[in-house]
Amino acid sequence: MQNLPAVDVLGQVVAQRTAVARRLASVRRVVAIAGGKGGVGKSLLTANLAAALATDAAGVGVLDADIHGPSAALMLGARGQRPKLGPQGARPAIGVCDVRVMSMDLLLNDDDSAVRWRHYGGLADDSFVWRGTLEANVLREFLADTEWGELEYLLIDMPPGADRFDTLLRLLPELSGAAMVTTPSEASVLVVRRAVAAAQHSGARILGLVENMAGGSGPGRGRDLADDLGIPFLASVPFDPDLARNTEAGRPGVLVDPGAPGARAILELADRLRGILA
Amino acid sequence: MKFRCEECQETMEFVSNDTDRASGVMAIQYSCPNCGRRISMVTNPGETQMVSSLGVTIGHETLAEGGAGPMKQIRRSLEGEASWTEDRGSPDPVWTEAAEKRLAAAPGFVQGMVRRLYTDWAKRNGFEEVSPAVMSKARDALGMTEM
Repeated sequence: MQNLPAVDVLGQVVAQRTAVARRLASVRRVVAIAGGKGGVGKSLLTANLAAALATDAAGVGVLDADIHGPSAALMLGARGQRPKLGPQGARPAIGVCDVRVMSMDLLLNDDDSAVRWRHYGGLADDSFVWRGTLEANVLREFLADTEWGELEYLLIDMPPGADRFDTLLRLLPELSGAAMVTTPSEASVLVVRRAVAAAQHSGARILGLVENMAGGSGPGRGRDLADDLGIPFLASVPFDPDLARNTEAGRPGVLVDPGAPGARAILELADRLRGILA
Repeated sequence: MKFRCEECQETMEFVSNDTDRASGVMAIQYSCPNCGRRISMVTNPGETQMVSSLGVTIGHETLAEGGAGPMKQIRRSLEGEASWTEDRGSPDPVWTEAAEKRLAAAPGFVQGMVRRLYTDWAKRNGFEEVSPAVMSKARDALGMTEM
């Protein structure tokens, strides 16, 4: 972008898009883990799925797209590392199984730091006008300016909110697909239905539905829901406090106790995704 | 956006960008390459913020100013000091044989991560090699319970 005229705004915006495509040319598959509702276990699934895929993939990365509630670095054991900034990009943190991680968590100074944006001329009260644009560009920079290197899979841990999917697709038309996550709860089912509709409206490929915490917040109903939505049913992951505890300690449960029911379900999910994306 | 000098029918050229963050005013100066006439386009805070949020640059910025280079939007927009370390191209510390042996005792799935943690800590603290003694210092400093 350095060669563009100093005020060529449109040219710079186009160049930003090109930079995303150029950086991700060495990434074979980009998969979003989404769901619409918060608290359904997207991050936990993303971390475990990354670890599971990394066992036989030539490079796995995780982009934590949850700018205000990042947890991927924690769950992949990558906290405490600082991304290294060089002229070609930022070197990501390395998590378990050598998973490359980029997250806002790595940039904040301590656990009590919140993400706050600088603004011009006292426009803090009007941040709703410009924050969405700015944060879409932050996501773009995470995609384009991270030195991902050669990756077989880049997983994107999406934040809550069906609208975020549309933003991602505008930045990343090459998205391989999205795995949608729900729990058996009525609230989660309602939200994931809307999130699937929004993702389909955006033109995203839905890889299928994952039911997380099955048995924990109601009887399993994922298969019926997937049939009703007309999308594949990928997995039912049982509620497993040990899996959650280990993963939140930076040791994804699929590595610690791969024979446990929750871990087994995620390992099978990884196999299914390998097959779908082959 | 472009400006044209009506006298000369020439497209005016960018001269400078003076932005005052406190007032939110951005004054972008142009001049006619033929007659030298100057004008300024002055934005209000909302316009300035929108340009900034788009992640585009008006004028020429440097890495030190949070302008050019990777992650410029994050570097210039995130309040407080972001936890980047600048890669100045200096070589990583060398791992001694004893340190490699100690690393090899860790589960395979964490070895890459642990190697990075110790390497980065040793480099930050001026060590040219990673030895078991350096690993122990790093472990204490980083609050690690294993390795």
